[in-house]
Amino acid sequence: MAEQNTSESRFKDAPEAVVKMRKQFSIVWVVPLVALLIGGWLAFKAISEKGPTITITFKTAEGLEAGKTTIKYKDVEVGQVQSIDLSEDGSHVIVTAELGKKAEPHLTENTRFWVVRARIAAGGASGLGTLFSGAYIGIDLGKPGGKPTRSFTGLEIPPVVTTGLPGSHFTLKAEKLGSLDIGSPIYYRQIKVGQVVAYELEKNGKLVDIKIFIDAPHHGDIFENTRFWNASGLDVVLDASGIRVNTESFLTMMIGGIAYDTPANLEPGAPAEEGATFKLYASRDKIFEKAYVEKKPWLLYFDGSVRGLAVGAPVELQGIQIGEVTDITLEFDQKKLAFRIPVLIELEPERVKFIGGESKLSTMERKRGMDILVEKGLRAQLKTGSLLTGQLLIGLDFHSEAAPAKINWDGRYPELPTIPTPMEEITSGVTRIVEKFEKIPLEQIGKDLQQTMANLSKTTAELQTLVQKLDANVAPAATDTLKQAQTTLIKVDRLLNADSPTGHELKRALAELADAARNISILMDYLERHPDSVIFGKEQSNEK
Amino acid sequence: MNDTSMTAASASLLSCHSCNLLSKMSGSHGHGHALCPRCGAPLHQRKSNSLTRTWALIIAAAIFYIPANVLPITVVTSLGKTQADTIMSGVIYFVQTGMWPIALVIFIASVFVPLVKLFLLTFLLISVQRKWKWRPKDRTRLYRITEVVGRWSMVDIFVVTILVALVKLGGLATIDAGPAANYFAAVVVTTMFAAMSFDPRLIWDVME
Repeated sequence: MAEQNTSESRFKDAPEAVVKMRKQFSIVWVVPLVALLIGGWLAFKAISEKGPTITITFKTAEGLEAGKTTIKYKDVEVGQVQSIDLSEDGSHVIVTAELGKKAEPHLTENTRFWVVRARIAAGGASGLGTLFSGAYIGIDLGKPGGKPTRSFTGLEIPPVVTTGLPGSHFTLKAEKLGSLDIGSPIYYRQIKVGQVVAYELEKNGKLVDIKIFIDAPHHGDIFENTRFWNASGLDVVLDASGIRVNTESFLTMMIGGIAYDTPANLEPGAPAEEGATFKLYASRDKIFEKAYVEKKPWLLYFDGSVRGLAVGAPVELQGIQIGEVTDITLEFDQKKLAFRIPVLIELEPERVKFIGGESKLSTMERKRGMDILVEKGLRAQLKTGSLLTGQLLIGLDFHSEAAPAKINWDGRYPELPTIPTPMEEITSGVTRIVEKFEKIPLEQIGKDLQQTMANLSKTTAELQTLVQKLDANVAPAATDTLKQAQTTLIKVDRLLNADSPTGHELKRALAELADAARNISILMDYLERHPDSVIFGKEQSNEK
Repeated sequence: MNDTSMTAASASLLSCHSCNLLSKMSGSHGHGHALCPRCGAPLHQRKSNSLTRTWALIIAAAIFYIPANVLPITVVTSLGKTQADTIMSGVIYFVQTGMWPIALVIFIASVFVPLVKLFLLTFLLISVQRKWKWRPKDRTRLYRITEVVGRWSMVDIFVVTILVALVKLGGLATIDAGPAANYFAAVVVTTMFAAMSFDPRLIWDVME
């Protein structure tokens, strides 16, 4: 200690050396640096991957859970529900969800969201996996090119996802939806080729727009003139042709469906473009009827009952339909004090193929032509279409014997002359026969007949007296005559009997006669050979 | 207090960690290493670079603490339903289902203790650097608590690893460790090292 002190005092004046502590970088700082790097990387990743936050409105949040429910596209998780809130008026729920960064460019007005829950419908079951895993929100990216947006209205019914599938969408305009639903099948020649993907009321509310999707390659079979019809359920038609039952398949009977075809009598036209609009016909038959654009109204007046004739009943020309009944009313003529029934029909001239001459006739030519036809006996007539149903149809036929008539072109509709129905004709014919029967003087005939009968009985009585006279006078004389004849015959018999002498003599005479005849024959023979013997006699020597 | 005490440092004596030989340290020796004259082990008057190391480890632990709590620690897949839980969401889940004790254990072991450790060590470091003379005895006790309690934070990691190993029921239920498990383990390990690298004698050095 003392030594130290002395040494210290000795160098008391010496300046203190500056000891500069070199700051040495401690290796331990690598640890927080690494931590910082990892943390920074995590933060960067989280921020860079943080996608857009969107809001979706649903009617109900059934099955949805904030922080748990995921958003899936093609079953791949692309986002998660962050929170679920009620809207201000409480009418729906607002789901706030965060999506992945990659989803950002796809969030357009075409993007659709819906809740995937387990659903069991007649067409099949879907989303059964959600029974265990809970509901999730499905997303369909939709067509590209929509306006970007961040708030969406969720669909209550899951759409049929067709994004990225090969095929085409079309729109069908129908008067009513019928039993169609999303997912209803579309058939072509009874093969399922597509399905209904959406439907909505048209803006003016008159028609229903049904969006359909036809899978490739069948969408190439759809042309401008392809006709779609509703193949829902059983199509039972009870009309003038009888009863018909049509259905595409058992499935369509249950859940409805659409079928299409391109009528062979039409030009198919160019292949239909994506999104083209078609009319949906009520049934298969309708597609053929409506193929005719041109319709000509005609008015027919019937005097008799038209019971059995309905609107839509066919108008046939010589058995081929060329139009249909569009209206039936009843008129009372106050002057004539009689009812008559005007029946409005529509003829479709396009159904008739015009051959020879020009195919397009002017209106005047057409009128002239109809006049000529009526002159030749064209008449409208009620006809029984089906004996089973009693339905009537209107037949146009040529009745050359019909009373002359003309088309009345003056009214609102041209009036075609009619003739009574065959039934009416039969009735009138029977009436005529009855009238003739009535004209027969049955009483006179009766009287005459009575007189004749009296005369006849008188004649009979006279005949009887005559017979009696004959009996009394003629019969005994006849008996005597007969007796005499009998004795004569007995005598003859006795004469001819073999044992009688007359018979014996006769027999001998006959034998002699035979001898004589033989001799004459020999003589004649000899004379023939020796004609000179008549002069010279027999030549005995020459003979021997 | 200080008048009655005599420390090894004030006596310029060093104790060897390995053989406990007391050796004399004469004055400043720059950056050279002091070695035990008997066994050759390096001699330190205080834990070397204690403050720097502790600071570094505490900062690292603080950074790791964020992902450990934000990211999911377990991913439970049950009947096709996948649920990822962070530590706090697990605690909330247990509270909601009425299992208070479990919630409490998890909360204390996984949230409270690491935080307490971080704050305590930070407090001690600051107090030493600022050469505070405030209640050195209590501060030393705090340090001891930090050291003792720190290892219990690993309970959470053990629970997760055991669950992951046990619950492998195929489609019925599967538990996987989430990314937070790694960060949480890192927090626990770094705080333990930080506590170890802190030299409580520094608290007392200012008292001389």
